[in-house]
Amino acid sequence: MAAYPGQVGPRRAIPGDGPASGNAPPGVDPEAFSWFQAVDADRSGYISVKELKQALMGYNLSPQFSQLLLARYAPRSSNPSIQLDRFIQICMQLQSTTDAFREKDTGLVGNVRLSYEDFLTMVVTRMM
Amino acid sequence: IRGRWGRGGVGAGPGAAAGAFSWFQAVDADRSGYISVKELKQALVNSNWSTFNDETCLLMINMFDKTRSGRIDVYGFSALLRFIQQWKNLFQQYDRDQSGSISFNELQQAFSQMGYNLSPQFSQLLLARYAPRSSNPSIQLDRFIQICMQLQSTTDAFREKDTGLVGNVRLSYEDFLTMVVTRMM
Repeated sequence: MAAYPGQVGPRRAIPGDGPASGNAPPGVDPEAFSWFQAVDADRSGYISVKELKQALMGYNLSPQFSQLLLARYAPRSSNPSIQLDRFIQICMQLQSTTDAFREKDTGLVGNVRLSYEDFLTMVVTRMM
Repeated sequence: IRGRWGRGGVGAGPGAAAGAFSWFQAVDADRSGYISVKELKQALVNSNWSTFNDETCLLMINMFDKTRSGRIDVYGFSALLRFIQQWKNLFQQYDRDQSGSISFNELQQAFSQMGYNLSPQFSQLLLARYAPRSSNPSIQLDRFIQICMQLQSTTDAFREKDTGLVGNVRLSYEDFLTMVVTRMM
């Protein structure tokens, strides 16, 4: 079972940290784009299973979780992969999910007890 | 195309397949044979003529996208039109004063009639989050669809965990993430 991670998603950019994001496509968040570039190790323009697992390794999530993301987000093929726009959607959702959870887990225990309406409120008012 | 979605607009009726195809061709602006979130957004309007918001378009594309590629083909589009029409009918039913939008009391009533037992605070939270600021906040069709879809999948996700029907569950961070990813994204 995964331990509670520090943060999921693009880190807030520190000057001089990470690859240059000067060529983010128009309308694309430069931080998300530079994270995409960092994760897309072979520079194929797509993120593969291996690259995704690698990226999520620092966040203490199980390998099954990467598999789940790919199953949900990559087009069905023998070599499932994720494109930039889907990747950004995923990052943003993971970030707000993590924020919502953290708000409840004030003791940083890694789990919370939630009533139905608590749960609804976290998801429906927050992550949309 | 925009005229179709006015308050008195025509939705997809029986024999939708034929109508859906010509509409599909009109909406598929880049002639790719698929409709993207962006193309879908251009085709759908609320009763106040605002285009459907991105989140609702994304949710619906994901629902009818069999290939998980982020776009839908003509069959998915045809099913999506029927889906929207069903929600539109419900929306008009709950919009008791026929204002074109659903306000607090109407939303409460809608939830109750749909079988949800939710506090007034919850409806207030939703309106605070999603309705334009006004003395009588209300939501358009797109937000209504978004909220109802999320309510359904969130409730299903919760019920799957609350096997004893206790009304509360203990979730780890990864549990929570997994529930969101598999159902609500």
